[in-house]
Amino acid sequence: MHVDSIANLQLLINGLAIGSIYALVALGFVLIYNAVGVVNFAQGDFVMLPSYVAISFLVPTITVYGVSLHMQLPAVLVYLIVLVLMIGFGLLFNRIAYLPLRDRGWMPVVISTIGVSIFLRNFAQITWGSQPLSFPSPFPMNTINFSGLHVRPQDLFIIAVTAVLIAFQYVLFEKTPLGKQMRATAQDRTTARLLGVRVTRIVSITFVYSVLLGTIAGLLVSPIFNVTKEMGGLIALKAFAASIVGGFGNIPGAIIGGLAIGVVETFGGYYISSSYADAIAFVILIGVLLIRPQGLFGERIAEKA
Amino acid sequence: MMSRHMLLAIAVFIGAAFLPLVFRGNDYILNLCVVAGVYAIVVMGLGILLGWAGQMSLAQAAFLGIGAYTSAFFTTHLNWNFWEALPAAVLMSALVGFGVGYPCLRLSGHYLALATIGFGIITQLVLINWTAVTNGSDGMTGIPAPPPWGPISFEGYGTYFYIVLVFVGLSAYVAARLKSSRVGRAMHAIRENELAASAMGIDTTRYKMLAFVLAGAYAGLAGSLLAHSIKFISPDSYSFDQSVVFLVMLILGGSGSIGGAILGAALLTFLPEVLRPLKNSYIMVYGAAVVAMIIFMPQGLAGIIARLARQNSGGAGPRAQTASVPQSAAEGA
Repeated sequence: MHVDSIANLQLLINGLAIGSIYALVALGFVLIYNAVGVVNFAQGDFVMLPSYVAISFLVPTITVYGVSLHMQLPAVLVYLIVLVLMIGFGLLFNRIAYLPLRDRGWMPVVISTIGVSIFLRNFAQITWGSQPLSFPSPFPMNTINFSGLHVRPQDLFIIAVTAVLIAFQYVLFEKTPLGKQMRATAQDRTTARLLGVRVTRIVSITFVYSVLLGTIAGLLVSPIFNVTKEMGGLIALKAFAASIVGGFGNIPGAIIGGLAIGVVETFGGYYISSSYADAIAFVILIGVLLIRPQGLFGERIAEKA
Repeated sequence: MMSRHMLLAIAVFIGAAFLPLVFRGNDYILNLCVVAGVYAIVVMGLGILLGWAGQMSLAQAAFLGIGAYTSAFFTTHLNWNFWEALPAAVLMSALVGFGVGYPCLRLSGHYLALATIGFGIITQLVLINWTAVTNGSDGMTGIPAPPPWGPISFEGYGTYFYIVLVFVGLSAYVAARLKSSRVGRAMHAIRENELAASAMGIDTTRYKMLAFVLAGAYAGLAGSLLAHSIKFISPDSYSFDQSVVFLVMLILGGSGSIGGAILGAALLTFLPEVLRPLKNSYIMVYGAAVVAMIIFMPQGLAGIIARLARQNSGGAGPRAQTASVPQSAAEGA
């Protein structure tokens, strides 16, 4: 009995860690969706791309585009460089994949984000090769033993960083003028514009913020999974499922949905079947959609056009 | 009455019939022709669902897989021949379409898209893990070609292409008849405004179901055709990414148009091959091309062709007006 409860606690921590990743990516989905009414299919690649960029400067030797690179830098510096680069990437993404299409309904934007996703994955494959790369953790990867409870420091780090980010976002959205403008834009773009909000700029800031959430999720999760060009795909799908489970467009819902899917999936993979673990998120999703289509925390509203 | 569209379609099909003669002996190109035809059928089915009824599906590759595995299972395990297995595959995909559509069609827009993604992923996991029937990730081999007709064998892509071509033609014909029928008009009404359609007395649930089942049946047909052409199937071919490719084919072709669906499928099947001289960067360029096409070709290929046709017939006047109408296929869904 005692062993079981320790095993369960360990599963819970693992589940919360992976769930935090889903929650961060789900937040990215929800913010872009709220701002422009479009689901961004390249969200997963916002997780993958920065991981590759970071790993290029974290390991002693790496082959980048056929050239061998020896540029090992301190981890903190690398993380900062990557964040700055990804701000630029977010602005570019908004410029290319969204702005030219913003007046044409959601479907063309969805297709262009799909195009960007295909582009980025293959860019990654050409640049960094198709072998999975292992990403050095800033912490030792062996577990710490708390009287029988084995915990990976990286898992605790993920949970802590996510908690800080969520607190940061709360302050940003509720207490700052920028956050208020972002919320106003999400609620009603036309009215926001009439009230003097520079909507186009706020939308591009939202894109950048969403890219940064993906970036942080990528830097956090890479030491646990290997870095591959496909790594973002499944994370993004599950994060998307999480955001719907929580009630699409609902920010606390996305966070709780992400954590819940991470935890249920980890327990399901352990107790039910590890080969169907990846299906669990979608079984939950379809179940929620059928029983409570508005999600756990959503109000019943018509789908935004 | 033969419309101009009909004549054009017949001309295109006669032209396509010469492809195996032009590329005789070039198995690589002929295989691509078969694949393009098969994908055209899937995309036409998706066109009925999304282009007409306005319902999104990102699971068409799963239906393709269900068709392919059904056909492969009946021919390799139960010794049915191709012509018996093909209707079984169509029926199976249509039935699954019914089973999935029934709960999912209560959702709309992004929610429906996501539920279908979930279904697609679960299907792929079942194909990988249900080894007794599907042989797991190793895939199924030894799927037989259709039985020969007298001296004509269907082992090679050159002859098999004609079977595919006939089914592409049939599928296009059925879709075209349906489009101008009461059913097609009902679906269009649902796409434009579901509430108004139901106020007009259209049983919206029934027509959305029908669209879902038809899209499933088209994909099932395509799956069977694909399985007996390449004779080997494995779960990776029926992924979410493939479903996305079908969606892109439809939108780039022009989502309300049958010809557009076929063109989109053919274009995106051959585009990577045309880009192959770029060596390993070709898929990257393909991704960029998709973005460029969606930005610069708002009405898809079908829209460009219609515009060229209008220019040729001298009516340049209303061009600017029509070009600025936003493609509202999935808006308001």
